[in-house]
Amino acid sequence: MEHHSEISHNRYNVLIEFAHIHLEFQRPELESVLSLHDIAIGRDCIEVPLPSSIPTVENYRPFLILSFDYHYAKEKFNLDDDGYVIQSDMSRFSKIDRTKPTIASVLSRCTLIRSAIELWGAGPSFDSCVEHARQLSSGCAGRITLENCMKLSSSWKITIHTLGTKFNREEQNDMRMKFAFFNLPGKVQMVNPTNEFLLIREVELDPKGTPLSQERDNFLSPPLAVYYGRVLGGIRDWRGNGRLDQFSLKKRSYLGPTSMDAELSLIMTNLGLVRNGSFCFDPFVGTGSILLTCGLRGGYCVGTDIDIRVLRGRSDEENVLSNFKQFRLNRPDLIRSDNALYHRHYRMNKPIYDVIVTDPPYGIRAGARKSGTKEEKIRAIPEDRRHDHIAQTKVYPVSDVMGDLLDVSARTLVMGGRLVYIIPSMRDFDVEKDLPNHECLEIAHVCYQPLQTELGRRVVVMKKVKEYDPSLRESYLSSVWINGPESAEKCANIRERLLEAAKLKPGYEEKAAYRKKRRQITREEKKKQRAKHV
Amino acid sequence: MRLLTHNYLQSNVKGTEKGYPLTIEPTKIEYEESPIDMEFVENILTKIDYSALLSARNQIEDRCHSDLGSDFIVPSLPEVMPKRYSDGNSKDDKIEEDETNQEAFLKSIHTILFDIHVLEGHLVCPDTGRRFNIKMGIPNMILHEDEI
Repeated sequence: MEHHSEISHNRYNVLIEFAHIHLEFQRPELESVLSLHDIAIGRDCIEVPLPSSIPTVENYRPFLILSFDYHYAKEKFNLDDDGYVIQSDMSRFSKIDRTKPTIASVLSRCTLIRSAIELWGAGPSFDSCVEHARQLSSGCAGRITLENCMKLSSSWKITIHTLGTKFNREEQNDMRMKFAFFNLPGKVQMVNPTNEFLLIREVELDPKGTPLSQERDNFLSPPLAVYYGRVLGGIRDWRGNGRLDQFSLKKRSYLGPTSMDAELSLIMTNLGLVRNGSFCFDPFVGTGSILLTCGLRGGYCVGTDIDIRVLRGRSDEENVLSNFKQFRLNRPDLIRSDNALYHRHYRMNKPIYDVIVTDPPYGIRAGARKSGTKEEKIRAIPEDRRHDHIAQTKVYPVSDVMGDLLDVSARTLVMGGRLVYIIPSMRDFDVEKDLPNHECLEIAHVCYQPLQTELGRRVVVMKKVKEYDPSLRESYLSSVWINGPESAEKCANIRERLLEAAKLKPGYEEKAAYRKKRRQITREEKKKQRAKHV
Repeated sequence: MRLLTHNYLQSNVKGTEKGYPLTIEPTKIEYEESPIDMEFVENILTKIDYSALLSARNQIEDRCHSDLGSDFIVPSLPEVMPKRYSDGNSKDDKIEEDETNQEAFLKSIHTILFDIHVLEGHLVCPDTGRRFNIKMGIPNMILHEDEI
């Protein structure tokens, strides 16, 4: 009898299914969200290895099993009431419930989780899953779990989730019947039952998340694993039905070329542990897309930028503030200032920020500037011109952008506070040596998001672990780059480097000539159109 | 610009000795009520410069009267912050503060720090008189080339 004995029915087990994107972000986001409730994997719960019909699975599996000691789970969570339904997208941002939240309310804060089920059975095959489920009531946790579903008034249904394989209705019903031994007294109800059970037939996925072909010589390959359990949160797919669309860029009144995609900023604010009452700061606020997400999570938001045009937006209806207004949030405080001079603009006696979250300017879509002029001799501004004078700015090298960002963070974050930033990376990037450092900050996570074959970006999360000593500022700044400022160059000027790299590829010249020709044709077309309308 | 933000701004022109706190000269003020988070307010109190807050409050009072109507009263603040907040050791405080007084104090602080917005005006350096303007609620702290 195949019996996955590691998933004990004496414990409370939860199977998490992730969406198949942002793979490197999934665990860090989950760990961060759990820590908002003071839950640590390894200390308060354990991760159980997934059952598997193949000894080594090379591809990513978007599942994770968390196992809780039953008494801990009963103390910590409200296990009885899972009427918590993710009714609106705003539920993702609800206040942290410190008193007995449901597991769904804890986990649904994770952008990347598709669903979570109370695990009743699991195994490397269909039969072993059924067998394991049969043992449910033999464990102290399982027994109570089952009892909770035995009410006559609780309607239910079983949904079958098979990846990549279609089964006809008869086959599906056969699968359902295998679990009939539970003898649930309530009636089967297809629409909005009290309890929805999920039977998952996991198969191996390719790197893009597409199921590998399941048929070989007309035989259906066996599944990788099979799971059965009760859906938590009342909804099978937490990400479905356009639940994230509400915050998508398409809906916002003010966008710019640097606006962060909504999903990534949702993840970043989780990695930063933004919650109600968090004091959040974005030193390169731009159009405010990341700050907006902080606001949605209940944070008090402050943003600075050197560029007044971006801060003021295009009009009264299209600016950073209008985005906040659109979502009925308190307005953020914005300041036009230069992060390179932060230590001079702001009195810094006590650290104030809980989270600093930002997408620093790298010269890809918006070049970085700082105060000052590249001219040798600085001319004094005549008194009568001073009021309207638009100060010059000069190029702000990436190595300094990052050095200043880390130094400001080290100084202004509270102990344990987090800095979350994005850094573009080409493939030749050594996480150990090419990331900026600061004595007062420790790296908590680095997550890579591939964008093209050559280019991706990394989200880096740092924690403040040591108090800042202002007298050591110069020393801190000089040790930011282990390999010297050349490391910073790896992030800088990526557009130019991409072009260089592209030029080296075969067929580049033909493609360039082709594109040029097309542009010419388009220009001529437009000319003709205009001539017509005159 | 909220008074909380003002509490942190200073003038940084080259050669400035004491560019803090900046004097507020408001020409347009707005009031926007927001929900109070008591814990957040208590937390913030340990980080602000109270005397700077007091003077800021006094500086905006007249403009509040003209812009927000005679019904609006800017809450008054005690000369000295209640001890339990200034030390940051609110737990082991032997002075028995009246609960209602405490709550009233926190509410006043909340209104003054968060709900009053200076939309237009100037921030003036107490040392050099250098003026930083505020437009659309955004203070402009950018220095000219010869001030860096």
